[in-house]
Amino acid sequence: MEKSDLSHHILSRFNDDLERIRTQVLQMGGLVEEQLKRAVQALIEGDSRAGEEVARNDHKVNAMEVAIDDDCSRILATRSPAASDLRLIVAVIKTITDLERMGDEAEKIGYIGARLAAMEQPESRYREIKHIGRLVADMVHETLDAFARLDAEAAIAIAKKDRLIDEEYEAIHRQCITFMMEDPRQIRRAIDVLWVTRAIERIGDHAKNICEYVIYMVHGKDVRHVHLEDVEKQLKLRGSKAVE
Amino acid sequence: MPSLMPNSTWRVLSWLAVLLLLAVGIGLIFHHVAMAIAIALGLYVVVNVRRLLRLDRWLRRRRSVDAPDYDGVWGDVVSIVSRIDRRKQFHKKRVVELLREFRRLTTAMPDGAVLLNQDNEIVWFNERAAQWLKLKRKRDIGIRIENLLRHPDFVEYVKQVLAGEGPETPPVVLMPGEMNQWISAFLVHTREAPQRLLIVRDMTLQVLLETMRKEFVANASHELRSPLTVISGYLDTLGDDEQLDPTWREPVNEMRRQADRMRGIVDDLLELSRLEGRHDLAGDEPVDVSGLLAVLCKDVLALAQHPNVTLKLDSTAKLKGAERELSSVFSNLINNAVKYTPAAGQIHIRWWTDTEGGHVSVQDTGIGIAEEHIPRLTERFYRVDAGRSRAMGGSGLGLAIVKHALQRHEAKLLITSQIGHGSTFSCHFPARRVLE
Repeated sequence: MEKSDLSHHILSRFNDDLERIRTQVLQMGGLVEEQLKRAVQALIEGDSRAGEEVARNDHKVNAMEVAIDDDCSRILATRSPAASDLRLIVAVIKTITDLERMGDEAEKIGYIGARLAAMEQPESRYREIKHIGRLVADMVHETLDAFARLDAEAAIAIAKKDRLIDEEYEAIHRQCITFMMEDPRQIRRAIDVLWVTRAIERIGDHAKNICEYVIYMVHGKDVRHVHLEDVEKQLKLRGSKAVE
Repeated sequence: MPSLMPNSTWRVLSWLAVLLLLAVGIGLIFHHVAMAIAIALGLYVVVNVRRLLRLDRWLRRRRSVDAPDYDGVWGDVVSIVSRIDRRKQFHKKRVVELLREFRRLTTAMPDGAVLLNQDNEIVWFNERAAQWLKLKRKRDIGIRIENLLRHPDFVEYVKQVLAGEGPETPPVVLMPGEMNQWISAFLVHTREAPQRLLIVRDMTLQVLLETMRKEFVANASHELRSPLTVISGYLDTLGDDEQLDPTWREPVNEMRRQADRMRGIVDDLLELSRLEGRHDLAGDEPVDVSGLLAVLCKDVLALAQHPNVTLKLDSTAKLKGAERELSSVFSNLINNAVKYTPAAGQIHIRWWTDTEGGHVSVQDTGIGIAEEHIPRLTERFYRVDAGRSRAMGGSGLGLAIVKHALQRHEAKLLITSQIGHGSTFSCHFPARRVLE
């Protein structure tokens, strides 16, 4: 439905601009997704070169943020968009901030991965990080899909997944504390693992934020700091009213 | 049907005329001509309206209601409508069948196919593509493909193809939402048609095989190195031993030479697998090409028997890249030239820059290479003349290393050769890598 809104403009250049911005945001998202996957992979495989490469590539994400930000300001200044177009621009500006932070977290994971590569791998082979990394990578992927499809329902479903990741984070947290108490020589590694898990968990939070912007973009409703169940109920109510 | 029209017009008019004449006749008998005509026309209208209504009902529900059995013009209308209807049914059935056949065909296709319009928006896709790219019918029609397939390599590939400078092979990327399944997406794009076709292939098996091969080569060469070091160590001690039985001296020296050669092969294999494992571009430390070539040239001149080597440095520019790799590129090219050029021959080495970038060429007056071998020269262990190359002591990996190292420097290797006259190997680096 938003899609058809976009095609309403008589100025087709404006349409092109909006579509291009959306595509750019998603490409930035694709880059962040790749950075995250490679950072986690480098850590698990103990590949210090790959980890450093991820850290080095972060500037690409930053450059994309600046470029998209510029485009958004230009559109705001020259086209003065209204209604759903304005919501799109506002959501994009917020989304790229979150994506950039995700990029920073991936950079951090890359750095720590490169450092951990020098140490002997633990028996678990970072299984727990692999698991939470997979969860978050999937979440980021689905979030960007929801952004591409402007699918608010999917966005709500994904945002709910964030709790799962928080639980996983808690579990790893406890596990690390146990390791540290059992063997003080493990403290350094355990702290690094905690940092990585923390970074991954933060990426999940940023993905959740993007889901909220998707809901805002589609329904024009700010759902930050509101319980997801309430949001769902409200949106359903509105949906049924619209049907009546 | 032009013949029908006047015919039916004539029939209607004659009917009406007969009716009117009858009405006038009856009117004359009863002295109410106007009334009679009015009644006659009224009846005529009533009959026609009834027929019209029935026709309407039949047209609306012609699947369940039988065609009305009329004569005259109405009958013609009914039969024409039925004929058109039958023809339409026939065509519809054919189109539906064709469509079904087409769908069966695309489902049976081993590859995924996605049709895109001029803005890269999805127009249509087959089931395989839906399965691999996680697309859903209806929902994903009209969405740009780059918005869903967001891998940076793929986006870059699409950009290059549309700019008309596309690489031949599409990138291999992870299947969306999967961790160990790979696909490659090949974009077919012609100037004539505005649509584009994206062919998606499952590459999982190839990727796994390739990884296994690379790992095997790397591990095998690594494992070979340690025993080899021990063997050459003992051979070196034996060879330097003054008290060695003279009958053993020559065999031991030969063993030393062969062990050295084997170490060369293993080192080259390791170097190659190291280069292959890296997909990033070489770094940007400035490399002094002139200095590098001068040193390599000196090494050649230090050999006991060497052809006449000339070095021409037309530029003092440096190249952005990795010194070690560039050094191995140039030394491989120069060593090849030396190997295949007789002592009376000539070797020209040249380094120059222009608007297109930096170029290094190594030209020799050696034995030359037949044309059919040139495309395959950079394959590992490919030999033009197996007996001779082995006698020369090469590993068979030199040009493969050159190719991979140059790829990391965004450079191209060009080979021209003529049997009996010599060959030219030239490396062309893009302008963005040249530091003036």
